[in-house]
Amino acid sequence: MTAVQLAHLYKTFTFNRGWGRQRKQTEVTAVDHISLNVPEGQAIAFIGPNGAGKSTTIKMLTGILHPTAGTATVLGQVPWRDRRTLSRQIGVVFGQRSQLWYHLPPRDTLELLARIYDLDPQDYRKRREVLVERFGLSEFWSTPVRKLSLGQRMRAEVAASLLHSPQVVFLDEPTIGLDVLARQELRDLICEWNRQEGVTVFLTSHDTGDIERVAQRVVVINHGRIVLDAPVSQLRQQYLSEKILSVQFHTTILPFPILSGVRQLEATDYTLKLEIDTRLMPIEQVITQVLQAGSVADMAIEDPPLDAVIAHIYTQPAEERSP
Amino acid sequence: MEVKPMVIKAMSRLLNYLGLATAYIRLNWHAHLEYRGAFLSQLIAMLLNNLMWVAFWVLFFTRFPVLRGWTVQDVVTLWAIAAAGFGLAHAIYGNALQLATLITQGQLDVWMLYPRVLLPHLLLGRMNATSWGDLLFGYGVYLGFVHPDLVHFVWFVGLTTAIAALFVGFSVLTGSLSFYLGNASALSEQWRFAMLSFSTYPGTLFEGGIKLLLYTLIPAGFVAYLPIEALRSLSWIHAVWTIVGSIAVLGVGIGVFYHGLRRYESGNLMEMRG
Repeated sequence: MTAVQLAHLYKTFTFNRGWGRQRKQTEVTAVDHISLNVPEGQAIAFIGPNGAGKSTTIKMLTGILHPTAGTATVLGQVPWRDRRTLSRQIGVVFGQRSQLWYHLPPRDTLELLARIYDLDPQDYRKRREVLVERFGLSEFWSTPVRKLSLGQRMRAEVAASLLHSPQVVFLDEPTIGLDVLARQELRDLICEWNRQEGVTVFLTSHDTGDIERVAQRVVVINHGRIVLDAPVSQLRQQYLSEKILSVQFHTTILPFPILSGVRQLEATDYTLKLEIDTRLMPIEQVITQVLQAGSVADMAIEDPPLDAVIAHIYTQPAEERSP
Repeated sequence: MEVKPMVIKAMSRLLNYLGLATAYIRLNWHAHLEYRGAFLSQLIAMLLNNLMWVAFWVLFFTRFPVLRGWTVQDVVTLWAIAAAGFGLAHAIYGNALQLATLITQGQLDVWMLYPRVLLPHLLLGRMNATSWGDLLFGYGVYLGFVHPDLVHFVWFVGLTTAIAALFVGFSVLTGSLSFYLGNASALSEQWRFAMLSFSTYPGTLFEGGIKLLLYTLIPAGFVAYLPIEALRSLSWIHAVWTIVGSIAVLGVGIGVFYHGLRRYESGNLMEMRG
């Protein structure tokens, strides 16, 4: 069953500049006819550069903004029309917007949220216990939010968004500003919740680690349009034709020949690191040349970092994109 | 036939909302008491500020015992009603004073994610500390200076509640200008300030065009004249007009807010609650 469905979703913002007769209206397209289906239980990464339209899309899907044209449904409901009903079934975390009370401990915010969502006191207590345990909230349960680290705050933030057992969770840059360890912890928790509870996750992030660790599918948008929609596992294998070949030799290597589509990233007496564009040069031909260069001790073929893949997608002309 | 279930449903919703409001008031108190020194000093400063104005009027009336038919008791009642109404409004609905900023900075987003009617829920989100000073002053000065009997006190409570609704409506109305003007924080504040200023001078002082202004653009007439007349002679007609005026201002405020909400464009500012 489909959890989130977008059909030609379109949103423009109008800006007025100047005075009197000089006054002009400028229309900026934030989301440009996006169509997308997200099945229930899937974790999708919705990524793109700043100003690509990610947050605007999430705001329309959560009922905050009305689209200029097009339709969208979340769990069968139109978000901007059925906002209040839908909000009982979705959870939202804005990395830059907190729903925790700054001067009060997470405990108080969760109690207030239980009241806002009209949770049955017994159900609330059970759910709270689960969240406190799974998100490790007990260590700072009674500490005012202003005294928490950013990582602790985000854990509490995500836990708060899950209090009313939502079926779909929208996470808008949840790991923004977190250190490596805190990011890893939060990713694991989101992943766990997605796999064990079957919660549909709609994630936006600039962090490729979030995408790799949490999402099963990646949708890249730029200038308000979808430029790529593919499984994460296929993204690096199918999308980018470049490979990194790292070789270690037993003996000093002979000078490596210049080959079309092959760039030497690193070369010492005993090691060689090459970047190969497989569209120009088959990898086996490069390996043949490597074997002739010296006695090979070890060899590894790697994909380039996902960061580089994403950056490449953003800069690539539309006709070259092939999901 | 279906009226009874509808009434029960409405009552249940009202009770639910009152429960939520109580939870917010409790939480807002806790948040303010995290800095109890600052909170108490704000509260006391507001009490003293109001007392200074009352002292000024008392001194004035020792020289001129009657001002256009009003005695010192009427002016103290006016200050008591205006302060208690304003205080009650913003002690509970403190976000009404922040509305222009919340709209301009796109901070309505978080409030729109909850399964609650937006405006009454959003207004509960903040408590204005100095408003508790106003509220305490209003009731304190009325009980301490005017010495009302029980009937007058009950009328005072009722009229104060109506005035509180008027102040909420007026704050919502002025704050909602941000939907139309972009950043209307300064304008909203100045308009509110004009309202407060006119609300603390005897309504009998103004005539003609200004009087018209005081029942339309700056509806201070519903604070500075009608409720005082109602209390002076327990006049139902003045009391009813006070209530009608308050409901009208509240209604206009709510209408302008929801009309403007269609123009809301959110934002990306960093934000924390509390």
